[in-house]
Amino acid sequence: MKYKVKTRKSPGRETVEVLGETFEQGKPEDKDMGRWRQKLGSRGDRLKYLETGERYWFGKEWYGSEKRKIPA
Amino acid sequence: MAEKEAKSIDQATLEMLEKAAQDGARVVFERAETTRPCPIGADGMCCSLCAMGPCRVQPPKGKEETLEERRKRVGVCGATPETISARNFVRKAAAGTASHGDHGRVMAKFFLAVAKGEAPGYEIKDEQKLLQLALDLGVTIGDRSNEEVAIDIANLLVKEFGKQEGELLFLKRAPLKRQELWRKQGVAPRGIDIEVAESMHRTHMGTDQDYQDLLKNAVKVSLADGWGGSMIATEVQDIIFGTPAPLLSQINLGVLKDDEVNIIIHGHEPQLAEMMAVAAQSPDMIAYAKSKGAKGINLAGMCCTANEMLMRHGVPIAGNFLQQELAIVTGALEAMVVDVQCIMQGLVDTARCYHTKVITTDPRAKIQGATHMEFHEHEALESAKAIIKMAVDNFVNRGKNVRIPKQKTDMIAGFSHETINYLLGGLFRASYRPLNDNIINGRIRGVAAVVGCNNPRVTHDSGNLAMVKELIKNDVLVLQTGCMAMASAKAGLMLPEAAVQFAGDGLASVCEAVGIPPVLHMGACIDNSRILMSATAMVKDGGLGDDISDLPVAAAAPEWMSEKAITIGQYAVASGIFTVFGVNWPTIGSKEVTDFMFKDFEEIYGGMWAFEPDPVKAAHLMIAHIDKKRKALGIDKARERVLYDMAMRRELV
Repeated sequence: MKYKVKTRKSPGRETVEVLGETFEQGKPEDKDMGRWRQKLGSRGDRLKYLETGERYWFGKEWYGSEKRKIPA
Repeated sequence: MAEKEAKSIDQATLEMLEKAAQDGARVVFERAETTRPCPIGADGMCCSLCAMGPCRVQPPKGKEETLEERRKRVGVCGATPETISARNFVRKAAAGTASHGDHGRVMAKFFLAVAKGEAPGYEIKDEQKLLQLALDLGVTIGDRSNEEVAIDIANLLVKEFGKQEGELLFLKRAPLKRQELWRKQGVAPRGIDIEVAESMHRTHMGTDQDYQDLLKNAVKVSLADGWGGSMIATEVQDIIFGTPAPLLSQINLGVLKDDEVNIIIHGHEPQLAEMMAVAAQSPDMIAYAKSKGAKGINLAGMCCTANEMLMRHGVPIAGNFLQQELAIVTGALEAMVVDVQCIMQGLVDTARCYHTKVITTDPRAKIQGATHMEFHEHEALESAKAIIKMAVDNFVNRGKNVRIPKQKTDMIAGFSHETINYLLGGLFRASYRPLNDNIINGRIRGVAAVVGCNNPRVTHDSGNLAMVKELIKNDVLVLQTGCMAMASAKAGLMLPEAAVQFAGDGLASVCEAVGIPPVLHMGACIDNSRILMSATAMVKDGGLGDDISDLPVAAAAPEWMSEKAITIGQYAVASGIFTVFGVNWPTIGSKEVTDFMFKDFEEIYGGMWAFEPDPVKAAHLMIAHIDKKRKALGIDKARERVLYDMAMRRELV
């Protein structure tokens, strides 16, 4: 991919060249590109993902602001 | 032309309005001019609950009321304006819960049929979501087959509708503090149907006549939608049809094709639409279309069925609520296939000017003058093919008066809660942490849900676009569903490029890093339950308080029209979210009721309502609320970064 370069003002220097936006156009060529759930092959993988990825509900530990010793 | 432009900001809509006028076809925009809104009803000041009335209790205009006049301003039964206003509001909330609830019930029963193998052609597509629900509901997984697990889940979900005691199972998904608050306030719904039935009873003549108690019931019945009927529908549909993931599609009337058989599927429940998508691609149907002179079959969506098909298959969307009749006005539509909710009876009248067949498919929603072809899930493919065949047969009747607008816009959709979680952290550490971190560091100011309908009382799509652009310009990430999502998509806001073009620098930099648009399409109106899940994940991830009401988030429905929108807004408020509505406000006739919902609700539920018809001012209210929450969290200012040496650390102990 060809990178875009942008010119920006910078303190102490007049202008600097910085890397421009790096996203590619929002048009995936492969129609299955966004379908990430198929990457989880087996039931074991899926259950493991639920425990880690959806840990807010299914992790064996409490997370974040709700971390507390006695669950409500 | 200026008058026409005031009706919509969408060029395809304006072009079709012009054509409708030329063709003598009546559409909603014209009816809105000839049928003005009743000012007493709009303010919620009419009680038609018994035959002693209807009673109108509107306050006098342009003069102060004396205490005596105020005392006399009651219905024949003595019901005060507050009681009448609150009753009307509760009934709207109950109707919304009933509608989404009935959708959820149909889907839960359909899920049971699929699990039992009684709905040929359908299967469990997303085992991941199935397992997720099994864990949620305490269903044993072990070595059991997906179908065995699914039967247990479906039975539990079906029971949620008729449950008489306890509380809804999905309430346990909410932040712990929120659950405690609901229980303390006595608003945790027991079941879905019971809350609707009790709402209708409470609001019957001579029953609950305390406006604060009535509004408490509005909270309860709306929670039975957001964390009940809608959530059940979303989850079950994900299991059967797949959880949405990002995909590319197009939107606006320009997706119709002049050389193919055009069929629009319109309404809300996706089971027919899913099978239509399969049937439209079958070789026998394509061959049949070719035998009639068409090059193929072009399926497009309208309203929330469109969102369902878009989110899972990328089926293009022809337009949102106010464009349904205009699709017929193109003269290129062979069939408008409808199921339930948001379907205008005016479709039949518009179709009289053209060759389009309006086909109803659901036993709960028939329209006089339409063709009824009932959809049966146990012979779904046959039902779908019969409908498509009728559309193909109608292709030869297409006249020469055809004009398809050129407008169609690319869009990325498919942002379920699960996909956002995955996109932010990847497969091995899916997480809302990057979102929370970027809110804390101020790149993202907050998150706003802009949802709801179109309404011809305001310029079509205009309120949404002005509001969403103002929000993203101020670094607020926008989540959308329903017809408002479509309005943004038509304007190109649902492409990653939109971040650079329209968003503030902070939000744009995050969108660029993750590769997402600044406005995320989360699905149909039932999928506002996905937004509840996202908000809960933000709470649970930490750093932004321990309840949804602590988050720097807000919600809005700038062009709302349906009772479902009231229910959605009410469950957002009851979940702790500040919510602004545009167009009009249904309790505005009663200062007491309105003040209670706009001010006192915040004390009780952490979230409250607001009304602001100007979309930019409404966006500013949302931003002000987000800033208030940022301040309360202590993340309103960049803090000086101090590197602690050992001596400083010892002082801390």
